[in-house]
Amino acid sequence: MTDDELCDWCEEVLQPFVDRDLTDEERQQAEGHLKKCKYCRKRYHFEEGLRLLMRQAEPMEPALKKRLSELRLEL
Amino acid sequence: MSETSSDGARRLAEDARDRVNFEEEALALADQVYRVARGVSRSKEEAEDLMQETYARAFRSWQSYTPGTNLRAWLLRILTNLNIDRGRRAQRTPDQQPLEEGDYFLYNRIEETTGETEADRVLERLSQDHVAEALSAVPHDFRDVVVLVDIGEFSYADAAQILDIPIGTVMSRLHRGRRILKKELAGVAVETQ
Repeated sequence: MTDDELCDWCEEVLQPFVDRDLTDEERQQAEGHLKKCKYCRKRYHFEEGLRLLMRQAEPMEPALKKRLSELRLEL
Repeated sequence: MSETSSDGARRLAEDARDRVNFEEEALALADQVYRVARGVSRSKEEAEDLMQETYARAFRSWQSYTPGTNLRAWLLRILTNLNIDRGRRAQRTPDQQPLEEGDYFLYNRIEETTGETEADRVLERLSQDHVAEALSAVPHDFRDVVVLVDIGEFSYADAAQILDIPIGTVMSRLHRGRRILKKELAGVAVETQ
């Protein structure tokens, strides 16, 4: 693959890469390209950051936690 | 006390102990369940209602849970079913528009609009509020899968089990759902520059 083709391929496998759903061979190929290509590296870094941002949702209010606990059945 | 009635008393005591253990384990998972509830709800209030209904139902039907299986997935199955039952899913029709943009689209769009060229700076242009707003615009079938996998950190197989859909459908909805989310995120993030 040419460098441009590798960039296109890396864009296609971005999601399975972040999901850790690539074969070992594919992963190595992607990592090899990322080492050399700043353009793709920045976009991969951004994607991983976006995933982390999504997971940092606002926490539950303590009052809700208390209400959930009160829903427990009487012994 | 006869042997039968002492057996009965022992069973009752064991049941009560199992139930308390179940309740404690379920409550310990509440923060994780809430993240998903918030992701599939339009507002914090709706997420809180959904949590209370989920836990009320879970506590009532604790005996249908098989100890040793995935309790978080069991709770999320109740939550997603309740969300369907409440008809919240009727508000939007699935988005059938073709999505031509690739996976670098969101980054490129923010970079173009803001002139930021470093990944961390581009990322700083996005906030929790942007994510919540963009998620609420994703059609429910796609959103449920994105929330379970990307926020709830469930495997494709667990998400398939929770939503009662084939794993291939999880993967295709995830692919499309993430694209829609990025398109929406680009809209909300760029509008607020």
